[in-house]
Amino acid sequence: MDVIWQGLKEGFLLIIAMDPEIVQITLLSIQVSVSALLLAAIIGIPLGTVLALKEFPGRKALLNITYTFMGLPPVLAGLLVFLFLSTSGPLGYFQLMFTPTAMIIAQVLLGFPIVCGLTARAVMAQPQEVFDTAATLGATRRQASWAIIRESRMGIIAALTTALGRLIAEVGAVMMVGGNIKGETRVLTTSIVLETRMGNDSAALAIGMVLLLIAFLIMLLILTLEKRTFNDERRIQII
Amino acid sequence: MMSAEFRLFNISKRYGQREVLNIDNLEIGGGRIYCILGPNGAGKTTLFRIMSLLTINDTGKLNVLGDEVTWQKNQVVRLRRKMAMVTQTSFMFEGSVYYNVAYGLRVRNTPAAEEKRIVNESLELLGMMDFINQPARNLSGGERQKVAIARALAVKPRVLFLDEPTSNIDPASALDIERYIQYINKEMGTTIIMVTHNLFQARRLSEEIFFMWEGKIIEKGETQNLFENARDKRTRSFLIGETVF
Ligand SMILES: Nc1ncnc2c1ncn2[C@@H]1O[C@H](COP(=O)(O)OP(=O)(O)O)[C@@H](O)[C@H]1O
Ligand SMILES: [Mg+2]
Repeated sequence: MDVIWQGLKEGFLLIIAMDPEIVQITLLSIQVSVSALLLAAIIGIPLGTVLALKEFPGRKALLNITYTFMGLPPVLAGLLVFLFLSTSGPLGYFQLMFTPTAMIIAQVLLGFPIVCGLTARAVMAQPQEVFDTAATLGATRRQASWAIIRESRMGIIAALTTALGRLIAEVGAVMMVGGNIKGETRVLTTSIVLETRMGNDSAALAIGMVLLLIAFLIMLLILTLEKRTFNDERRIQII
Repeated sequence: MMSAEFRLFNISKRYGQREVLNIDNLEIGGGRIYCILGPNGAGKTTLFRIMSLLTINDTGKLNVLGDEVTWQKNQVVRLRRKMAMVTQTSFMFEGSVYYNVAYGLRVRNTPAAEEKRIVNESLELLGMMDFINQPARNLSGGERQKVAIARALAVKPRVLFLDEPTSNIDPASALDIERYIQYINKEMGTTIIMVTHNLFQARRLSEEIFFMWEGKIIEKGETQNLFENARDKRTRSFLIGETVF
């Protein structure tokens, strides 16, 4: 119990003190995971929509593969990226191993199936009437598809928050391809592992608190943006 | 040959094993108010969907607003933009009543000021101005139907399909809607094709009636004529109220 109290206290102090090293680690965590999320969203949302709406051979198989990769273990993603980027790998020439770029690539691999798969599910859950209504009002196919995406936005936001939660909290991939190099590729999760290994349990717990705070703030930002844009929170009333 | 807004020849549609529509020959001239009558499952909505290019027919030839329908992408959108439909469910997009009524104008890139003017005008006509900023999904069934009509009107269609437009509306408001329908037809020159289960409404509004039964049109004619001397036994028993749907 002492360790936990100590950790909470240290965490609180750490957040107030704004220690430069912690600040740098925190910013790198955010930079890596948010970049990865944006890239995953840029590819995943349109692709998920296509998988949901377009009829083509192999569609079912692709969907099932996407769902499977939603459970991709982070270390495995890290390993795959490692094999491609290491000096002997096909992309070794670019010398990306142990850089934030490598960490972002690995996290895109983790985040993309989640965004894509959950977007597809959200879009498939829409009734035929969305298309019908848009079409009878003169929408082109592209415009009608936008209407369907717009109707699915709650589900798509959920996809984004789920993916971000996974990325900011994972350690396997960033450890494998980043290497936890101080000042270069060390992020919050890898610091926690390091502190734990060195027996500084309360320090590890303190960094964990910073991580939770960051996760909370980013979620808050996404949800606020959504509310500001659409201003119509839907809620089922249960009385 | 006189031009007709819709010409259907040998149009059929099946779902699985069941043929739900089979129209040998149907011509709708345009300009009038037309009513389609018939029991549930007769194929009225399916017919609407084919005429408004939402469902592809399995066989036959379809001529819409002077075009032989080829289902080529650009043609479909071009023709759809001359029509509008109020569907049976009056589905509303997530968002305000304003957003819903403006939708058809936005996809046509209507300038903002004009959009606003037309939305106001349409809602005004249906007596729904008070609801303009309400979330559309919170409206009652009848209010939704009125907004759906306003939304369809906003795009100034040449043909307006109404699929049971007063099914959720109280008798007094239904009469209001009937007046709007007449106004839209007479003053704006819009062809109106509607499905209704209300015989009195059909008689009051329409000039021509099509009677459907198990996917076929079994009787058609001028409203007055049809009500007074229907030829088909099924139509007659329907019109005197022996068959209740
Ligand atoms: N998408 C569909 N899939 C399968 N069956 C359908 C579909 N749409 C309509 N049907 C069937 O076709 C028949 C005609 O339906 P519909 O045109 O909606 O009838 P109506 O509007 O006259 O009540 C019904 O029996 C209905 O169950
Ligand atoms: Mg119907």
